[in-house]
Amino acid sequence: MARLSGLQREVLSLYRRCLREIRKKPIETRQKFKIYARTEFQRHVEMSKKDFNAIEYLLRKGHRQLETYSSPEIRNIR
Amino acid sequence: MSALRSTSRLFAASKPLFRPAVFARTYATVDPVAQVSATGHATTSVTPESKTSTVQEPTPSEQPRIKKFQVYRWNPDTPSEKPQMQTYELDLNKTGPMMLDALIRIKNEIDPTLTFRRSCREGICGSCAMNIDGVNTLACLCRIPTDTAKDSRIYPLPHTYVVKDLVPDLTYFYKQYKSIKPYLQRDTPTEDGLEYRQSPEERKKLDGLYECILCACCSTSCPSYWWNSEEYLGPAILMQSYRWMADSRDEKTAERKAALDNSMSVYRCHTILNCSRTCPKGLNPARAIAEIKKMMAAH
Amino acid sequence: MASIARQSPLLRQSCLSAFRAPWASKNVAGVSQVVAFHASANKQILPPLPQSIQGTMNDPAPIPHSHPVHGSYHWTFERLVSASLVPLCIAPFAAGSVSPVMDAVICSAIVVHSHIGFDASITDYFPVRRVPKTAAFMKWLLRAFTLGTAVGLYEFETNDVGVTEAIRRVWKA
Repeated sequence: MARLSGLQREVLSLYRRCLREIRKKPIETRQKFKIYARTEFQRHVEMSKKDFNAIEYLLRKGHRQLETYSSPEIRNIR
Repeated sequence: MSALRSTSRLFAASKPLFRPAVFARTYATVDPVAQVSATGHATTSVTPESKTSTVQEPTPSEQPRIKKFQVYRWNPDTPSEKPQMQTYELDLNKTGPMMLDALIRIKNEIDPTLTFRRSCREGICGSCAMNIDGVNTLACLCRIPTDTAKDSRIYPLPHTYVVKDLVPDLTYFYKQYKSIKPYLQRDTPTEDGLEYRQSPEERKKLDGLYECILCACCSTSCPSYWWNSEEYLGPAILMQSYRWMADSRDEKTAERKAALDNSMSVYRCHTILNCSRTCPKGLNPARAIAEIKKMMAAH
Repeated sequence: MASIARQSPLLRQSCLSAFRAPWASKNVAGVSQVVAFHASANKQILPPLPQSIQGTMNDPAPIPHSHPVHGSYHWTFERLVSASLVPLCIAPFAAGSVSPVMDAVICSAIVVHSHIGFDASITDYFPVRRVPKTAAFMKWLLRAFTLGTAVGLYEFETNDVGVTEAIRRVWKA
């Protein structure tokens, strides 16, 4: 596999963190969280990998969303 | 003070060119060859107010004073599109006197997709801080220049991460504010168990400090804060820090001083004085920082 | 800093309009026109990093490691050196006498003063967390320069006439 750029690694680590946070959710809703996280990433899968500004912005947004959703009060998602 | 500020208005016009062209950050810039989509943001169809409102429009004046407003636009839903300036035209005869009135009118009548923060419209909440004609100020306290020949240019606060259009991300600013522990720290109760009292002289020390509304105008106008915003606290936060150091009721002054005692937190201030020049409330953060430095040197 | 930023409004107008013209385009709706953001630099000197927020929104920003040697003592020392330079520079010429001790004091004060000044500039414009290697390189470069200056001045003082005398001769020449 080709060496990943720093930005690509950051995106992957965000996704990994998402998956880790999902493990803390109740078992019956985990699948829903997983689908949600996947669709959020999938939505911008077409993004050019040279468009650093946009990717950085999306990373920022992703981190914020992750922080919101990882609070223990949120148990389910549609 | 007021004299300083009026001169800053004079020179204000020349600032924006310098700032972005030399040290532009990526999120607020555009590749000059990038083509602009002709459609822009104003594609959503809007019902004009004349059709929805039952209130009669005031009779249009014979000589409409049309002024152009150039507003920074960036839509986070299409992040790969570059930011751009969009021009709106308003008749000043039908618009309120302040920049915020113009922005609200643009949002109501021309382009509902325009995004900006606003709340109190009287300079108390600090939400509508933005860069207007090159000066960081509150849109609600900034008069529209009546010279219709010149366009007004409205940008978000400089060197901030933009959330959308004129909305900057101030998360780190607030986190820094939290790091200085902006609350009364005291262990010993008063002798009579009642409230902590201050003499009028002690109270007087806090004048010019407590009025700060944390609009971030000064911090984002400070070149030192632009380069080192991660570690340098910036004028707004330092002024609040001094506000708690100067408070006679606070007992943790030594700890507060110790926390600031490093090369980055305070000493990146090189008395550029942009903070005092831009403050929309007419406060003087530079003086507060100088007082902090004096306090730290004296201990 | 700010004074450099001030340019004549006329100049700004002309270069703005020259900048803007090619991309000006009318909006379809006709209400407003969209213009490309003109203020762009082809070459960015120090492009920003992606925003990184440590901890959650509600955690305070980390406080840097604090020590008065880097903070207040450093500042006080810097101010003392700067303030002492004023009388030091005038004294030998006012007194009209040249003494090697005075020369040595002036030279060391100037070397220390410029070292501190350049060091502050490096800290400002080469943030350690942004460009750690460049920052370290610049710091060492500055140290080398300071040492070089110090050695050079020492040679000049011991083997030649000395700074004050040299200035006096140049002045009289």
